[in-house]
Amino acid sequence: MGRWYKENSNNSIVVSSRIRLARNLSGMPFPSRMNDEQREKLKQTVKSAIEESNTPFAKLLKYIDMSSVPENEVMAMVERHVISPEFAKSVKNRAIILSDDESISIMIGEEDHIRIQVILQGLQLEKAYDIAERIDSLLYERLHFAFDSQLGFLTECPTNLGTGLRASVMLHLPVCEAQGEIQSLSETVGKIGFTVRGMYGEGSKSEASLYQVSNQITLGLSENNAIRNLEIITNQIIEKEMKLREELDTLKLEDLSYRALGTLKYARIMSSKEMMNLISKIKLGLDMGIIKEEINPIELLVESGPFMLMSKKGEMTAKERDIERATELRKKMT
Amino acid sequence: MKCEKCGKNTATTHIKSIVNGVAKEINLCSLCAANEGYGNISNVGLAGMLASMFGESLQSVNENIGVKCSVCGATFSNVAKTGKVGCAECYNTFKNELLPYLKRVHGSTVHAGKVPNSAPLIVKPIQKTVDDLRTQLNRLISEEKYEQAAVIRDEIKRMEENSNG
Ligand SMILES: [Zn+2]
Ligand SMILES: [Zn+2]
Repeated sequence: MGRWYKENSNNSIVVSSRIRLARNLSGMPFPSRMNDEQREKLKQTVKSAIEESNTPFAKLLKYIDMSSVPENEVMAMVERHVISPEFAKSVKNRAIILSDDESISIMIGEEDHIRIQVILQGLQLEKAYDIAERIDSLLYERLHFAFDSQLGFLTECPTNLGTGLRASVMLHLPVCEAQGEIQSLSETVGKIGFTVRGMYGEGSKSEASLYQVSNQITLGLSENNAIRNLEIITNQIIEKEMKLREELDTLKLEDLSYRALGTLKYARIMSSKEMMNLISKIKLGLDMGIIKEEINPIELLVESGPFMLMSKKGEMTAKERDIERATELRKKMT
Repeated sequence: MKCEKCGKNTATTHIKSIVNGVAKEINLCSLCAANEGYGNISNVGLAGMLASMFGESLQSVNENIGVKCSVCGATFSNVAKTGKVGCAECYNTFKNELLPYLKRVHGSTVHAGKVPNSAPLIVKPIQKTVDDLRTQLNRLISEEKYEQAAVIRDEIKRMEENSNG
């Protein structure tokens, strides 16, 4: 495994697959009702559960107290999808257990006591679930999870109750978006318990035509069924996007993607918004076989994020960042 | 900005659509958005749903009953307002109140997924096929959990005997 955005996505509409399991310890109030002492205890309990489990698997994981992570790096972790924006809002009394390649992250003290996340490149929901499930099993060998035989795993928000599973795929849908299809897509999948959102989840608007599709229903549906349904929906969306792509005017598409490539290669000042817009067009050009250069657009996109830049190069004003972004992109692409 | 549908709640969902080539923006509250088929359940949240069902009477109803979670002290109106329960015990305390909403959110009130090891699967062995159990047995052996493996092994034996006889 590797970092989801670094591995070449094989020119796929599916950029990444993510599995999240929400778990809570019994005998402790849920996070929004916890005091500092209980939060500290929670961190230590989960930490020792992993460390003492002594499996080869656990040795891949590292415990990080979030209060020791510099502010820009915390936000850079959000940009790399290692932690949720919600988790980044307050790092006090929160910790994370992370694998080297960041494909596995266990957030401690988010909305639930424990949130296991596995994120992989491309369409690999089953593999991601398999890994998450192993970590889950490893944890409940040593921890007692809040579980009810009727309601399943108990979560702070009843919308996650049951399996506590959120399975999602991130899709690149530039043509669906351009033709105003996202709304009807969202309505259609909404009716069967799935949701379409922007790149950073709840409430976020889409950037670079990247959309996240995930399950909403966690009670009364098994993990396997939720994942299988998401796969079916994903394949249908891919089919739709592909069909719309076939109808595009080739010359216009060439013009569009090469213009984007030229700008990204030679610009001197580049805002985050412009960068995302260009990357989306370049990715389309790559996926359609028009642009043949060795570029990983998703890696460029993630590494050009404002906090990714500042985490590497130190604090910058927005203006300085735009210059730095253009410089970095130029260096990587020529 | 007020919701264009109900004119009551704050509009939080802004829907852009193109009708006959003209771009239009509609501003809805999360609840109306969900009713119109936009957005999704988790954005509406339990809070919105409960608030809309109970309306203003929510506060008084629950203060009259005066039921508090014995573990965390949360009242049902706390739960309804925030959309979050205080602790695991809250699900017991407010089960009757919560079940209709769970039904509405998930379409079901019964868990159908993974069951932790500590709640042993022998409770409902009939639902497991022999193949399922074999997979589990192999996993337990590879994890050197011989005690649990022995339970599964006996279970497989019993099931095979039953089906043969
Ligand atoms: Zn409304
Ligand atoms: Zn409680």
